[in-house]
Amino acid sequence: MKKNAALLPYLIIVALCCSLPCRAAEVIFPTPSYAGTELAKVKEWEKTWAGKKVTTENVDQVKDFLHEAVYKAMKDPTIFGAKSLWFDIVAYRPYELSKGLMEATKKYAPESKLDAKESLVNYGNVAGYPFPQPRTGAEMAWNFDSNNRGDSSYLFHGGTVVDCRTGHEREAGHLRWELSWVGRYDVQPIPKIPESENTRGMARSFFQRHTAPPDFADTTMLEIRYLDNREEDLWVYTAMFRRVRRYATSQRTDTIDGTDMIYDDQEGWYTHPTRNTYVAKGRADLLVGRHQDPKNVQREHGQGFWNGFQRERVNNWVVEVVNKDPSYIYSKQIWYLDPETWQMNFKVMYNRQGELWKMYELTYNEVTSVGGFKVSIPSSEHIVDFIRRHGSPGNREIKGVGLDISHKQFTTKALQEHTY
Amino acid sequence: MKKSAFLAGLMAAVVLVACLPRVAAGQIMLFDNKLRVKGSVYEFGTYMPKLAKEDEQYTNNDWGLMRTKGTLELLYNAYEQGDTSINLFGFYQWWHESVPDFDAAAHRSMTSRDRHHYQGPYERADDWINETYIDAYTGPWNIRVGKQIVFWSEVEMVRTIDRINPLDLRYTTPGIDPFDEMKLGLWMVRGFYTTDLPGQIVFEGIWTPDFQRVRTPMEGTLLGSNPAPPIVMGKQAGKIVPFGQNAAVDDMFRRDAPRISLHNTTFAFRTKGTSDLPGNYTLDWSLSWYHGMNTTPVARHGKVGYPSTLNLNTDTLNGYLNNLAISRVFGGQNLPSLNHNSFWTYKYFDALGVSGQSFIPWLKGVLRGEVSYEMGVPENTAFTKEIDKNPSYSKVITGTTERNQVNVGITFDRPLRWEWLQNQTWMASSGIIDTTLGWYAQRRQGNITHIRRTFGYYERSQSNWTLTMRANMWHSELFPVVRFLYNAQNWGYAVAALRYQPGKHMRYEVGYTYFFAHNPWDAPEAYCENKDFAYFRIGYEF
Repeated sequence: MKKNAALLPYLIIVALCCSLPCRAAEVIFPTPSYAGTELAKVKEWEKTWAGKKVTTENVDQVKDFLHEAVYKAMKDPTIFGAKSLWFDIVAYRPYELSKGLMEATKKYAPESKLDAKESLVNYGNVAGYPFPQPRTGAEMAWNFDSNNRGDSSYLFHGGTVVDCRTGHEREAGHLRWELSWVGRYDVQPIPKIPESENTRGMARSFFQRHTAPPDFADTTMLEIRYLDNREEDLWVYTAMFRRVRRYATSQRTDTIDGTDMIYDDQEGWYTHPTRNTYVAKGRADLLVGRHQDPKNVQREHGQGFWNGFQRERVNNWVVEVVNKDPSYIYSKQIWYLDPETWQMNFKVMYNRQGELWKMYELTYNEVTSVGGFKVSIPSSEHIVDFIRRHGSPGNREIKGVGLDISHKQFTTKALQEHTY
Repeated sequence: MKKSAFLAGLMAAVVLVACLPRVAAGQIMLFDNKLRVKGSVYEFGTYMPKLAKEDEQYTNNDWGLMRTKGTLELLYNAYEQGDTSINLFGFYQWWHESVPDFDAAAHRSMTSRDRHHYQGPYERADDWINETYIDAYTGPWNIRVGKQIVFWSEVEMVRTIDRINPLDLRYTTPGIDPFDEMKLGLWMVRGFYTTDLPGQIVFEGIWTPDFQRVRTPMEGTLLGSNPAPPIVMGKQAGKIVPFGQNAAVDDMFRRDAPRISLHNTTFAFRTKGTSDLPGNYTLDWSLSWYHGMNTTPVARHGKVGYPSTLNLNTDTLNGYLNNLAISRVFGGQNLPSLNHNSFWTYKYFDALGVSGQSFIPWLKGVLRGEVSYEMGVPENTAFTKEIDKNPSYSKVITGTTERNQVNVGITFDRPLRWEWLQNQTWMASSGIIDTTLGWYAQRRQGNITHIRRTFGYYERSQSNWTLTMRANMWHSELFPVVRFLYNAQNWGYAVAALRYQPGKHMRYEVGYTYFFAHNPWDAPEAYCENKDFAYFRIGYEF
């Protein structure tokens, strides 16, 4: 009996040791925002709130689930030129992830790691979310970067630049084609476009043709982000001068045509993840727009902040982001990342004096791709400037996701084609 | 009649747009999104507060320009199937320069015919058509047939390789206004072939039987010269009498300019691409060859006449100009007629060009450059300074010759962040100052002492330094811009401007241009040393 009792701990230790490598390699995916008792609590809360309209008057009742920036705007709508602000609360729904994303994540995540410079090892040859159970801010940033939004997309993005003090408005619009050259998981070829067709080592590219304002129509941009850490290339065909101009990357911190957005802010962060340092700040259970009907958003003239967001509760990952360039325009950013798709639900940016400067809130919608899989794509958004009282609400009309876009679209020659 | 027809078309389009507007993707679209309509109406005025005494008599109120301009841009998607598409594009314009209408001195400084040419799009019958062409794409081919404007340049303030379209300088000054507002369309066939070769190489070819001469500031207008020489004798002494020597020369240039004809063919070819270089540099490059007529003529062989101020034979070029000058000075009642003489001829030359632009990571900016080597540029000849002591603008012509010359333009663009500006909340600026430094030079080869040039006489080389700085304020509604040019011969100019675009449609701009020169005969811009001007531009874009 004593002998058996003495053997038992050894057996347990051996069994534990044998199982440890399996646990380390195990990938838990998908990663819904809530499960078990947490989900039950959320559902209980939704019994009271789902379907309710939250306005300036009753916003205090859901204050715990709003970021202070959203709360501040809701409490004082005049900041952004509104008489009142409101949003709808909808029930939490986990995303329907594509088969390709599930398979790629399960295939590549077990081997994922970052090198000493916090670059993703083997970047360009893998796909899916590399760190479904992230431990560091950098891992979360790489998860965010790995969201390919259907590998390719074509959309119309319309927006208004609003001076909320004066009520002046200026419209802008563009058509945009995006293509992921690597990290592909939904559209063949996966996980990357063969090197024979990607001799320049591109990681991601977009081609953007402006339609408004009138004197900006046909102005076209081509941006290429590369696999290595080199600076992005940006070309702009300026229709007014009919010239293709290379842009300096330091222009990436300039605002885009008077909006509150800088080039780096596109889709939350459009540049190489290694430009920043990241610190994980835990989780934040907040109301964000994940299933947004773009027709539901509305605003009055002179209002820089959308009404009609359809917010649901999500337990976001929080990451503090500081650019490695000490003179960068933002002293820091706080990203709020979705635990299921790693999309950026919103972020706040602080100026160099450390004051809350801007907030970029993206809402998403699930759309069906050409291949029939579901993708969460940005739907409506606003980026607002708290100091200058300015806002840039925008809306997207998705024309196609998971498309077979010609690679020739992403060449400098294409910039001038069909422009007048 | 043409003006009426154009106005009627413009009105009809406006009515159509007003009645059936459909805004798609932020644009005015008609006919089931097949027709895109754009346009603008602008008023542009210049006021010249520093005119010299000799210029004052040719103006009553110091307004240089008061130009109303309307444009209408139509794009029709006629056919689209797979990778084949056909678009029809038209860019139509009309303007009226009204200073001669309200300034009697300006009115009298030009002949009625010149005034007619000057006040609207009437220099050539198709001036109201800025561009109109068929644009067809199929596979790697793109063919454009019709009247077009071509842009080949990388740098902005001078033209080196960008020489397909001649310029209309009657209302604008190069380097101050963008070239796209000055270019004259030409009827041409232009084709592109996009290869699958590494470097995204594209071949481009242009063939045009059309020709337009450069349109220089007209005599009697404030950007041009005064009617000269002045009348010093007779009843009209001291009075404004139009048709001086420059007006006569302009008239002759117009008469002798070639018409659209297969004999006047111009060819141009260009290859361009984007190549990756070692060190992670991406270079956009182009190579070009141009074979065409110079837009300024030279004296016709056999028509120069005896090169002396004593030659008054109006059947020769020197004689005619001498006769005209003397007739004016002595107050002749009838100035000499050109009869049917053709004194000038437009000659061919060739130009090889190369251009490139690349982002330079360690400089954090974009370097652009272009070089043009022009071969056989036609020139008039004159006696050297030692033999003919007359100033450059009144030298007699002895004949013609050809010379080669090299033009170089290099610019460096670097956005500079000015933190103080960014921190001024009330200015709502991104704090970025778009800054461009430029160097432009020309070197003439061969003997230059026999070359007759009104501007830059005896100068083998020109070297210009430029600086442009542009900031944005009020969330890119307001753009302050400053621009400087300094030439090594100690002339140049400075421009300060404010552009305001508060909404989707309205555009405002005000500015001031200051000229300086050690010798006004160094360059046309130096000649403007006493022609500083304040300007405004108000427009509506749709």
